[in-house]
Amino acid sequence: MPTATPLDTTSLKVHSSPAPSGWRRVASRLSLPLLMGGGGTLIVAYLSIIVILPIAAMVSHGFSISIGTKGAWFEFWRWHVAFGFRTFWDAVTAVGARNAILLSLWLSLAVATINAVMGVAIAWVLVRDRFFGRTFLDSVIDLPFALPTIVAGVVLLAIYGPDSPIHVDLFETWMGLMLALLFVTLPFSVRSVQPVLASLDLDSEAAARTLGAGTVRTFVSVVLPSLWPSVLAGFGLAFARAIGEFGSISLIAGGIPRTTTASYYIFNLTSGFLWTDAAAVSTALLVISLIVLVSANVFSRRFQRRLL
Amino acid sequence: MRARWTLRTVVLAYLGILIGLPVVFLVLKAFGHGFGAFWGEVTQTDALSALKLSLIIAAVAVPINTVVGVGAALLIARHDFIGKRIFDTIFDVPVAISPIIIGVSLVLAYSRIGWFGAPLARWGLNVLFTPLGVALATMSVSLPYVLRSIVPVLTEIGQDQEHAARTLGAGRLRIFWNVTLPSIRWAVLYGVTLTIARTLGEFGAVLVVSGNITGVTQTLPIYIYDSWDQRFDVLGSYSGALVLALISVAVLSILAVLRRRERKLLVDFA
Amino acid sequence: MSISLSHLTKHYGKTNAVNDVSAEIGHGSLTAILGPSGSGKSTLLKLISGLERPDEGTVVIDGDDVTKVDPRHRDIGFCFQHYAPFRHMNVAKNVAFGLKVRRRPAKEIDARVDELLALVKLEGKAKSYPSQLSGGERQRMALARALAIEPRVLLLDEPFGALDAVVRAELRHWLKELHGQIHVTTVLVTHDQQEAMEVADQLIVMRSGRVVQSGNPLSLYESPATDFVHEFLGPSTMFQGQVTRPHDLELVSVYQGTVKGRITSIVSLGFEAQVTVELSDGTTTWVQLSRNEISTMGLRVALLVGVRRREDDV
Repeated sequence: MPTATPLDTTSLKVHSSPAPSGWRRVASRLSLPLLMGGGGTLIVAYLSIIVILPIAAMVSHGFSISIGTKGAWFEFWRWHVAFGFRTFWDAVTAVGARNAILLSLWLSLAVATINAVMGVAIAWVLVRDRFFGRTFLDSVIDLPFALPTIVAGVVLLAIYGPDSPIHVDLFETWMGLMLALLFVTLPFSVRSVQPVLASLDLDSEAAARTLGAGTVRTFVSVVLPSLWPSVLAGFGLAFARAIGEFGSISLIAGGIPRTTTASYYIFNLTSGFLWTDAAAVSTALLVISLIVLVSANVFSRRFQRRLL
Repeated sequence: MRARWTLRTVVLAYLGILIGLPVVFLVLKAFGHGFGAFWGEVTQTDALSALKLSLIIAAVAVPINTVVGVGAALLIARHDFIGKRIFDTIFDVPVAISPIIIGVSLVLAYSRIGWFGAPLARWGLNVLFTPLGVALATMSVSLPYVLRSIVPVLTEIGQDQEHAARTLGAGRLRIFWNVTLPSIRWAVLYGVTLTIARTLGEFGAVLVVSGNITGVTQTLPIYIYDSWDQRFDVLGSYSGALVLALISVAVLSILAVLRRRERKLLVDFA
Repeated sequence: MSISLSHLTKHYGKTNAVNDVSAEIGHGSLTAILGPSGSGKSTLLKLISGLERPDEGTVVIDGDDVTKVDPRHRDIGFCFQHYAPFRHMNVAKNVAFGLKVRRRPAKEIDARVDELLALVKLEGKAKSYPSQLSGGERQRMALARALAIEPRVLLLDEPFGALDAVVRAELRHWLKELHGQIHVTTVLVTHDQQEAMEVADQLIVMRSGRVVQSGNPLSLYESPATDFVHEFLGPSTMFQGQVTRPHDLELVSVYQGTVKGRITSIVSLGFEAQVTVELSDGTTTWVQLSRNEISTMGLRVALLVGVRRREDDV
C-alpha cells in the first residue's frame, strides 16, 4: 500500500497500466493462465489436450466396468470406483499381461545394468583414452538417439534377423529383444557419465597412485564414488526407456508369447480393440515408469548431496 | 597399459556388434539388388505417399511445438507462479512413458469410445484411424524438445539484456523479437531439429492411433514396419530405413554445428 | 532533474532489502549510493529505475510521481553492472536501440550515434560486436546506449566493479569529466568508498536497507554521524574509546602525550607509514605518519612514546 506523501499531489504522468499491487500482485504470482497476456492459458489448454486429459481418460477407462465402455466423464465416480478396480485387476493379472510385464521388468533391469557397466567403460575410453577415430566414435554414440526406433529394429534385423549374413538369428528370442534395448538405451549411460568423468580432478587419482594404489584400486576407491550419481541417473533413464520401448523390438519380437513385452502386449490388445484391458495394462506400465523415474531422481540427488 | 588396451578393445567390440555391423549391413542390404532396385523401392507410390504424410504431419506439429516450447520456456525461466514444478514436469511425461501408452490415451480421450468422443463426433472429428490422430500423437511425443533446449540458455544469459531494453523504452513484443529471440536462436534451432527428428521418426504412438491405412494414415516409419511385417517386402523396408537413417545422420551433424555455435556465443562472454 | 525518494520499502520474502528510505537527489548532481554488499543499494537503484516496484513509498522524478510508471516510460538511462550489451548487435546498433524504439528518423539516429560514439571515444568501433570489445569499451558503449535517449536521470550499477585497477581509475576521471560536459543527474551505486569520494559530489551511505547518512563527501568524512560511517569512509582506529582517523593522531614524547604507549610495529607504505602503538590503557591503536616524521623523530619498534590528537595543540 503506497503511503501518502506531499509529493503525491504533483501532476501524475502515468503512461502504462498501474503495477499490480496488493492482492492483484499475489494473484498474478498464483495464476499461470494470466501470465504473458493470456499466453499461459493457451499453453495450459494445449498441454491438457495432448497430455493431461488423454492420460486421465486412459486411467479412468482402465477402471471402468467393461459393459458400459461409453464412458462419459461423470460416470466415473458413480460406477468406476465401485466396480472398476476389479476390471483393472483382472486385466493386469491375466496370464498374458503378467508374463509380459515380468518379461519387460527383468529385461529392463538386465539392460540397464549392462548399460551402466558398459556406459562407464565407454565414457572412460572417450574421455581418457587417445586413439585415431575417437571423435568419430563419440558422435556415433548419439546415433541410436537420433535414429527412429523402427529403423533401429530394421538395422538389427539386417544382421541378426532370419536371413542373417553371419548366421546369428536372434528373431523371436529374448537375446534379440535385449540387443534392441541395449541399442536404443546406449546413449543414456554414456552421456550422463561422460561429463562427470571429464570434470574429475586428475590430481586425486595421481595422489592415490603415489600412495601405492593400483589402477583398479584407484578406480574403485577414488573415481567410482564420484561417478555414482551419474551412473544411477543413466541407469534410471535406461530402465524407464527400456520398459516402455516398442519400436525397436516390434519386428524382432515377431509376435509370439515368449517374446511379448508389456508394450507389445498392449499393442496386441489395441489391435483386437480390447481398449479397457489396454487402458488397464497401460496404467500399470505408466505407474511403473513413474516410480522408476522418481526414485532414480531421488537416489541420484541423495548421492550428489553426499558428495557436495 | 594392458588394462587400457583391454578396455579399448572391449568397448570397440561392443560398439561394433551393437552399432557398427548392423549399420554396415543395412547399407549392404538396401543396395543388395543394386541402386536401381533401392531407388525403385523408395519412389514407389506407397512410399512416396507415406513420405508426404510424414512431411505434412511435421509441418503441423513442429511449428506448434516450437511456439509452445518457446512460450513455456519463457514462463519457466522468467516468471514465478504456483505449480511451476508440475507445469515443468508435465512436458517430460510424453517422452518418459511408452509411446504405446500415448497412443492408447489419445484414443480413449478423443475417439468414438473416448471421453470426448460423442461431442467430437457431432462435429465430424475422430482421432482413431485418421491423420488428425496421427498429428495429435506426433505432437504429444515431440512436446518437450524445444523447451528443454531453451531453458538452460535463458537461465545462463540472465535478464540483464531484457531489462536494459526495457529501460530504453522497448515494449514486450519488441524485447522478445529484438533481444530475447536473437540470443536464444541457436538453442531454438537445436530444439526444432530434435523436434523434426522425433516427428519424422515416431512409430509406437502413431501405430496405435493410425490403424495403418496405406495412403491415408501411413507415415514413413509405419511404411517401413508394414513392408516387413505385413507385405514381406524386405527390400522396401531396408530402403525406407536407410532413407530415415540418412536423415538421422544429417540431424546429428546439424546438432553438432548448432552446439558449437551455442557454445561460442556463451564462451565469448565468459 | 531532481529525484526524491520517500519512505521506500522493498521486501524479498522475509528479508527487508530496502527499509523506509527517503532521500533527495539534486538536479545535475552526481550522487553515489555507498554501502557494503547486502546493504540494499542495488535494490534502491532498481527501485528508482522501476525495474523493481516498491512495496511502499514513492519515487518522484522532476516533480512527476513515477512510482507506478513502467521503466520503459521513465526516461532513465540505466547501466548494468555487467553492462548487458545486446550481444547480437554491433556497437552502433546497440547505441541506436533506444532511438529506434522511439521511431526517430534514420538520419537523426545515425547522426546521434556518431555524436555519442565520439563522446565516449568509440568512434572506430561502430561496426564491432560487444564480444570484440574490452571491458572498459563495453562500459563506455553501455553509457552511450543509455545516454542516447537523453534520459532525465542516469543510473549506474557498480559501474567499475568488473574492471581492473588501471582502467578503473581512468574511467572514473572520464566519468567525472563527462558529467561536467552533460550535467545529467547521475546516481551510481558502489561498495568502494574511495571511488565514491573521488567521483561523487553527493553521498548516500546505506547499511542494512537504511540510509545512515547523506551529504557531500567532505562533510561526511569530517563529521561522520556514526562509527559505521566513520569506519566505512576511510581508515580509522580507536583512541580513548572513540573512533578516529589515524592521521588525526600524532606521536610525541612520553610526557607530552595524552596516553603513553610502546611502538610494536612500523609498516612503511612508500611515502606513508603505519605505526602501531600498544597503549598503557591496554588498547592498541595505529597512527599514520609520513616517512619524514618517522626519521626526524627517530621512531623504532619498542620505543616508548606519547600519543595525542593533532587538534589538541591547535
